[in-house]
Amino acid sequence: MKAVIIGAGLGGLLSGAKLSKAGYEVEIFERLPFIGGRFANLDYRGFKLSTGALHMIPHGSRGPLAQMLREVGAGVTIVDSKPAAVIKMNDDTEIAFKDFQKQLSLTKNIKLGTILLYSRKFKPKNDLSFKDWILKYFDDDFLLKLADSFCGWALSLRAKDVPAQEMLEIIDNMYLYKGSGIPKGGCGAVTGALADVIKSNGGKIHTGECVDKIIIDKEKACGVSASERTIDADIIISDIGHLETVRMYDCRDEAYSGRINKARPSKGIKICLSSDEPLIGHSGVFFTPYAERINGINEVTNADPNLAPPGKHLVMSHQTVISDDLNQEINLGLLDLKKLFSGKKYEVLLVQSYSDGWPVNRASSGSDIGNWTPVQNLYVVGDGAKGKGGIEVEGVALGVMNVMKEIGIIV
Amino acid sequence: MKVNNTCVGCGQCAAYCPYDAIIVFGRAGMNEKCIECGTCVRYCPVSAIAEE
Repeated sequence: MKAVIIGAGLGGLLSGAKLSKAGYEVEIFERLPFIGGRFANLDYRGFKLSTGALHMIPHGSRGPLAQMLREVGAGVTIVDSKPAAVIKMNDDTEIAFKDFQKQLSLTKNIKLGTILLYSRKFKPKNDLSFKDWILKYFDDDFLLKLADSFCGWALSLRAKDVPAQEMLEIIDNMYLYKGSGIPKGGCGAVTGALADVIKSNGGKIHTGECVDKIIIDKEKACGVSASERTIDADIIISDIGHLETVRMYDCRDEAYSGRINKARPSKGIKICLSSDEPLIGHSGVFFTPYAERINGINEVTNADPNLAPPGKHLVMSHQTVISDDLNQEINLGLLDLKKLFSGKKYEVLLVQSYSDGWPVNRASSGSDIGNWTPVQNLYVVGDGAKGKGGIEVEGVALGVMNVMKEIGIIV
Repeated sequence: MKVNNTCVGCGQCAAYCPYDAIIVFGRAGMNEKCIECGTCVRYCPVSAIAEE
């Protein structure tokens, strides 16, 4: 059995590792000169920055991605963050994320516990946003700000743009898998280890090679044309999102075409800082609900000092994009960092922004279409086709798991 | 090099530029160090860069 995979991003590589381990002959085509997509390292002035995602695995060594990496035998060490997350309060104090309820009055605290328990069991309707879900029960500025900070950090969206239902799935996963971790060697270590697995199983990865067309015969995908040759395949997995995939064949399913056009890519800004002294001091997520734009920050060198030159720290902030004026958004982010780290010395290494054709997520949470396509033997994975309640790369892993189940490969 | 409107500012070109000739702030732009070697073209994920 032969599998062709379009795109060597995390979803493509996870699929390739899984399929090659199950005995498939795997061939991956990546149009860029390097593998990993938006989960790769970017060497910059001696620092290991990242192409897209932060050097972080939302559910650490216990989550779906870590589970898949173990299953395929990818040698990746994930350092679980302790504390998992900290919240910077308005008065400059810091509290552990797990203790956020202690900031509420006793009545609100009990109410929140009851409502969470109820809503996790009976999920709200899909048209209710997470912000409106909070407002339905609470009039509390801290809760709203924390929701925006969390949604901005984890999904690059504001709480008003995330369906409450999806957020409660995420909360379920947080109870199940717990907090975050950092892969030693950064994002690139994860995608690199997956590529090693694929190659050791006899699979091929071509970089700098585009797939031009998906060949379909009697509503079944049966191959691709790439670099002026035709490659027959029993299974085709696309890691480039539904919209780009549909451009590679003549799609006649109008309902599907309509659905995929509704997926909204999410926008975000990452600011990479270098400092001699630690700015945060631990590797957990540093949530900043009271900042103007920054949603959260991570000092990854506390988990892996090798992500920066000796004696340096690497700090990465993330913010969702609120207005159409990107320069203004970046400047507000930089101003936030100045305030958050006032009195501390640091240097801005690189400002990276993501949107449209190279977004944070091809389908923002709640607008995911899933892995199914109208063509038999053709599946879509990656951040345009995440699993339910999956934050970023965890969602990518959950999506790949769904496809493997569908194909009949035991996960 | 010419950068068109599809540039999102991801900075990949800046990291791969052998001449440290690309500044990124919401969008990529080349400075005077650019020798038009064209390396950045291949590394741009949205095909936003072209030779002049």
